[in-house]
Amino acid sequence: MDFAKKIIHTTEEIFNTMIFMEISSGQVLTEGQEVLDCHVSSMIGLSGDFNSMLSIHCPGNIGRAITSEMLGMDVEEIDEDVKDTLGEIANMVAGGLKESFAAEDINLELSIPTTVSGKSYTVSSPTKSNRVIIPFKLEQGRFFVEIKYSLR
Amino acid sequence: MEHAQHIIESTQEIFSSMIMLDVTPGEPYHRKNEMLNDSISGIIGLAGNTKGMLAIHLPTQVALSVTTAFLGMEVEEVDDDVRDAIGELANMLGGNLKAHLDPKGSEIQLSMPSTVSGEEYMIDCIADAQEITVPFTLEGNQFLVELQLSPE
Repeated sequence: MDFAKKIIHTTEEIFNTMIFMEISSGQVLTEGQEVLDCHVSSMIGLSGDFNSMLSIHCPGNIGRAITSEMLGMDVEEIDEDVKDTLGEIANMVAGGLKESFAAEDINLELSIPTTVSGKSYTVSSPTKSNRVIIPFKLEQGRFFVEIKYSLR
Repeated sequence: MEHAQHIIESTQEIFSSMIMLDVTPGEPYHRKNEMLNDSISGIIGLAGNTKGMLAIHLPTQVALSVTTAFLGMEVEEVDDDVRDAIGELANMLGGNLKAHLDPKGSEIQLSMPSTVSGEEYMIDCIADAQEITVPFTLEGNQFLVELQLSPE
């Protein structure tokens, strides 16, 4: 199962067609726990034929830039709009993955998105799980899309 | 709300049977965007016909005592053992709660657990989710169990 390829394809498609921002993917990471210097994250569970959690991690300025672009208004701080937007993007990326896996007869269901924000926090997954982290670059900097999974 | 009762039953069952600690529930309430300080949270998604997210939020000191009791070994800082233990706790709570919400066992699937830890962070649900939080007292200290369910 090529998680990285599916995530890159889905994320690029969403940014190109829904948010109208150009993004490019970087070197795929598999490191365990990372802070990644991010101040807002959204996550959503994806579960069924395998078990996983998808997250999007953004530095504050990137979270604001994406939200400004998507909502067409200036965003000054990590507020409800930013959290809702990143939650919605996590939902869309997870939905795209679900569809892409369904085409291979791998069935998944989504949970609801949750956002984490703050000055200092670490998001980690069970040490036994697999992890794929993809950095995406846009004009203002980088954000990360991560999937943690275990195959049944 | 009936879900508060499910949270109370599941949490008491898991703590008494797996961790051998008694916990006392307090009054359920709606936890709206409160900052969590010096804490660790275990989060798991509920996917399928009922979509949601279950989280347990513990102040660091409480998380260390719970992990010590759970693993039967002393832990002094938030390391991989503590993160795994709190993620596993969220997983067990999710499994137990699923049995209450979905007695037939076919409509809800659990995602992979995730843990968030840090000095200062917030965990928000999407705007339209129903949310209920139950505080529990454990040896004089408090921790929270929160359930968010999508209205659909």
